[in-house]
Amino acid sequence: MSLSFLQRVPQPLLRPFIPLTAVLIALLFGVALVAATGASVSEALGAFAEGAWGSPYAIAASINRSLVFALVGIGFVLAERARLINVGGEGQIAVGGIAATAVSLYGGVADLPMGLAFILPLLAAALAGGLWGGLPGVLKVKAGTNEVISTLMLSFIGIWLLYWCVQSSALLRQPMSNSGTLPESLEIPSSTMLPFFFGDPSMPLHVGLPAVLVIGPLVALVLGRTLFGMHLRSVGLNQQAAHRAGMPIARTLILAMFIAGALGGLAGGFMLQGEQYSLKAGFSSGFGFDGLVVGLLARGSIAGVFAGALLFGFLRSGGIYMEMVAQVPSALVLVVQGVIILTLAAVTLINRRGEAV
Amino acid sequence: MSWEMMAVFIGSTIRLAAPLLLSATGELVSQRAGVLNMSLEGMMLTGAFAGALASWYTGNPLIGLLFGTLAALPVALLQAFFSITLKANQIVTGIGINILALGATTLAYREIFGSRSSEAIPGLSKWSPPVLRDIPLWGDQVFDQVWLLYLGGLIILLTALVMHRTALGLALHACGAEPRAVDKSGLSVARLRYLAVLFSGLMAGLAGCFISIGDIHTFTEGMTSGAGYLAIAAIIFGNWKLGRMVLACLLFGAAAALKFFLPAIGIQVPNALLIMLPYVLALIAVAGLIGRQTAPGSLAQPYSRS
Repeated sequence: MSLSFLQRVPQPLLRPFIPLTAVLIALLFGVALVAATGASVSEALGAFAEGAWGSPYAIAASINRSLVFALVGIGFVLAERARLINVGGEGQIAVGGIAATAVSLYGGVADLPMGLAFILPLLAAALAGGLWGGLPGVLKVKAGTNEVISTLMLSFIGIWLLYWCVQSSALLRQPMSNSGTLPESLEIPSSTMLPFFFGDPSMPLHVGLPAVLVIGPLVALVLGRTLFGMHLRSVGLNQQAAHRAGMPIARTLILAMFIAGALGGLAGGFMLQGEQYSLKAGFSSGFGFDGLVVGLLARGSIAGVFAGALLFGFLRSGGIYMEMVAQVPSALVLVVQGVIILTLAAVTLINRRGEAV
Repeated sequence: MSWEMMAVFIGSTIRLAAPLLLSATGELVSQRAGVLNMSLEGMMLTGAFAGALASWYTGNPLIGLLFGTLAALPVALLQAFFSITLKANQIVTGIGINILALGATTLAYREIFGSRSSEAIPGLSKWSPPVLRDIPLWGDQVFDQVWLLYLGGLIILLTALVMHRTALGLALHACGAEPRAVDKSGLSVARLRYLAVLFSGLMAGLAGCFISIGDIHTFTEGMTSGAGYLAIAAIIFGNWKLGRMVLACLLFGAAAALKFFLPAIGIQVPNALLIMLPYVLALIAVAGLIGRQTAPGSLAQPYSRS
C-alpha cells in the first residue's frame, strides 16, 4: 500500500496526526458546503466565530458544552481500554438529568449547607448513570450480551423515560395550573444550581470545569498507573490470559461500564444544574452521541478527549449562531461531524495493529 | 370496543409496521451475511428524502419511488466499502453515516424546499386485493393500503425463498456463520457481503419512500425518527429469523398504533411508554431472558484470510 511509509513514522508523532487530518478534511468540506449553499463564506465564518468565542458568554457556553462531551468521552476511553464500546452516553445523560432533577426538586436538599445542595443531586445523577451503564456490563458478563446493542437500546429507553417523566404529573412534570402548562419540570431551587466559577452571570462558567479538570487526569492516572488500569488493559487485550493470571474479569468489565455510565450521568447532572435548570423533552439533545465521537477521536488518550471535546463544544456553539445570523443551517455541523467519524474510521487502516477504532 | 375500531387498529398497525418490515428484511439478509448495518436509519432517511424530492419535482410518485430507492444505494455502498473493504468498525461507521445523512438531508431539504416546505407532495396510491376488498369493514380499513406494502410482502416471501431454498441463500448464511468455509469453497466473502448490504440499501430506500411518499406525502427533517434502529431491534427480538422478525415488526407497529387507539377508547397510557416498549422488548431479548439468542456467528466481524 502506498501509505506504508507512514508505518515507519514513530507512533507518538502519528497519533495526533490522524485525528487532526480527519478534522481538517471535515472542516474544509464544511467550508466548501457553506460556499455551495450560496451563503457568504466570510459572513458565515464570522457568525461562527462570534457564536463560538465572540464574547465571554459565548466562550463559557462553548466550554460548558465541552465539559459534557469530555465526561462522556473520558468514560468511553476508560471502557474502551477493556475493549468495551459504550454507545449509551445519550441514555446515561438522560437518566442523570432525571435523577438530578428529582433530587434537586424533591430530595429535600435545597437547604443543606456547604454546597451539599448541589453536590448531592450530582452524585445521584452519577449513580443513576452508573446503574444505567453498569447494567450492560452485568448482561455482558452473565449472558454474553453485546454491549453495543444493549447500551444502544438503553439509550432509547432512557430518552423516552425522560419524556415520560416530563409528560406525567405523577412524575416530574410541573403542577398543571392551566392547559398551557408546558410538559417540563419545575425550575430547580437556586441553591441546587451549580455556582458560577467567577461568580459572574455574564461569564457563566460553572464549577463543573474544575471538576472535569480533576476527573480527566485522575482517570488517566487510573488507566496508566493502577492495578485496575492494568486489569482493564489485560482484559481488553486477552481475556483468557487475564483469566489465567487470576484477574477478576467480571468485576473489571462491570466496573468499567459502571464508571463510564456514571461519568455520562454526571454529564447529565451538569447539563441540568449548570445550564438548563428544568427538565424538558429532548434534554439530552444528541450530546451523548457527540461525546461518543469525541471518545473515538481521542484514540485512547485523555488529552485527546479534552482536545476533541473543546473542538466539538465550539463547533456546536458556532453552528447554532451561524444558523441564527448567517442563515446557514446548523445541520452543516452534523455533516462535518459525520465526515470526521467516517474519515477517522477509514484512516485507522494506516496504523492498524489488529485493532479497529 | 367495536368491530370498526378493531379494524381501524389492525389497519394502522399494518401501515405503521410497513417501513419496519421492508427495512428489517433487507437488514436481516445483511446481518445474516455478517454485516451489522447500523446505517439503516441513514439509508431510510436518504430514501425518504430523495423519493419526496423526485416525486415533487416530476409530479410522478413512481419516479419518486425509483429515485428514492436508488438513492439509498450509494449510502449502502459507503457502508459496505467501510465495513467490508476497509474492515472498519461497522457500528462506528453506521453511526457516522447516520449523522451524515441526517445533516445532509436536512441541509438539502432547507436549500431546495425552503419556504415551500408545507406543500403536499404527490404520493403513492392505495390498492386493495380483489375479493378481500369486498369484505365489509376490513376491505376499507385493513386491506386498503399503499400498494408498496403488497409489493413489500411479495419481496419478503421471495427473500425467504432465496435465503432458505437456494445456493445463494446458503452462501449468504455461511458468510455470517463461517466465512472461512465460504472462502475455502472458492466463493468471495467480500462479494457476497457487498451484495447483502446493497440489498439492504434497496429495501431501506423502499422503506424510506413508504414513509415519505407512501404514508405521509411530505418530507420533514429527520422524519424516520429512529425507525432504522427499531428495525434492528425487531431483528434482535425476532432472534435473526425472518418469520419471527415479521411478527416483531407487527408487534412494534401495534405498539405505535396503540398510541392513537388507546386514547380513543378512553385508556390513558403515556405515549413514551408505548414508544419505549419495542426497545425494552429488544433489550429483554438480547439479555437472553426469552430463550437463547442465536446471532450469526461472525456478525459485525470483518473477514480477512490471515
